[in-house]
Amino acid sequence: MLALLVVGSFVLLTITYGRGSDGLQRGVSAVFSPVESVTDRALKPARDLINWFDKTFDARGENSKLRTELEAAREQGVGAQTALAENRELRKLLGLDRSGAIPAGYDFVTGRVTVRSPIVWFSDVMIDVGSGDGVAVEDPVVNGDGLVGTVTAVTGSSAKVTLIADHSSAVSAKVVPAGSQGVIKPTVGDPGDLILDFIDSTKRVGVGQAVVTAGWRSQGLYSGFPPNLPIGEVTKASIEEQEAQQQVHVEPYADLRNLDLLQVLTGGSRG
Amino acid sequence: MILTPKILARLVAIVVLGVLLQVTFFSRVALFHVSPDVLPALIASLGLLGGSMTGAVAGFSAGILLDCLLIAPLGGGSLVLLSTGYLAGLFRERFEITSAFLPPLLCALATLFAELGFGAVELMLGFDSTISTLVVRDILIKSVFAFFLGWPIYLGLKRLLRPAIVEEPERRTSRRPTVLGA
Repeated sequence: MLALLVVGSFVLLTITYGRGSDGLQRGVSAVFSPVESVTDRALKPARDLINWFDKTFDARGENSKLRTELEAAREQGVGAQTALAENRELRKLLGLDRSGAIPAGYDFVTGRVTVRSPIVWFSDVMIDVGSGDGVAVEDPVVNGDGLVGTVTAVTGSSAKVTLIADHSSAVSAKVVPAGSQGVIKPTVGDPGDLILDFIDSTKRVGVGQAVVTAGWRSQGLYSGFPPNLPIGEVTKASIEEQEAQQQVHVEPYADLRNLDLLQVLTGGSRG
Repeated sequence: MILTPKILARLVAIVVLGVLLQVTFFSRVALFHVSPDVLPALIASLGLLGGSMTGAVAGFSAGILLDCLLIAPLGGGSLVLLSTGYLAGLFRERFEITSAFLPPLLCALATLFAELGFGAVELMLGFDSTISTLVVRDILIKSVFAFFLGWPIYLGLKRLLRPAIVEEPERRTSRRPTVLGA
């Protein structure tokens, strides 16, 4: 019996690895999807209570740091308002006047996270919108802060979002305004630390610079993400690391440990 | 474990409820930035109460359900959790549970084993990323959580499955030493 189970596991793993969702998973997911939604909503108060304790521990240590950051942010805010106004005007000129969060040509579907992988080695979440809502595989997923991940599997009423912190994730990105391009890869186990790899070592990247999606298209190949979706901010960029390993460290804008409402960008041209 | 249809239904309900609670609740709460993973503790408890086969089958089923809900490649979760359940059951068959601290301690060890097992399966399938040392911290904290959560899980399951649990043999009295030539 034990041998049968072990062999069965290996056979299933061999058959299903890399194939995405199959009939069994779609069926089970469809059956459990409403149950998950109900359980998710019912347990939200308890979840929020526990997460409140976690955040309170953090907040105590970060209070003074945040005060300093607030002063700097206020100064930057004035500049940002001017830039935003200018940007809005330019967008109107280009006929790309949208809300600003959603790239031109894209629609969005808002979904709620219902399920999260319990395993430290994966960073996947399930959301309560699926192909029935227009969600398709490879659709980019964002929240109010920035890029979160991409849809890697869909059923009729749910979709699997592989986060940018998952070991299988790789996002082509560029540093603004330096323009240095690279690939954002995760550090497994630390969703607050992404690595922008394969950057041009001749272009200097500094701490505090923003990183956005590159969104390239070349000879029929294209990036799965539209350009200029905010990803994060460079937090560590030593000259040694840039020259020797051609990489810098990036902290994502989105809090990948605490996700609730997400927006799936559907349609649109890639790259 | 004496399996009757009623007990089987309870076991199925325990596994389904356990997996659902894990993915919708425990995976989405965090203390010290780490979410508890109760599944290895649940499966280890079932193994400790029902023996190696019960643990292995429960682990396999929980793994399949987990993989289905997460739309992950089938088999990885079941392989790890069936090993966890089988080893816990084997412990129960080979050794006596003499201390009340033993089940939660075994739940913590089961979590440690399962998390490393999930990592091993991922490495086997191909892994091309930097691994943070925080993974070690996360796994250790998850094991500590499992120690505290394993206690109520084990006692709750023991109560729920009481009619089916084969009574443990009485504790062996320590033998008197034989004095040769006496």
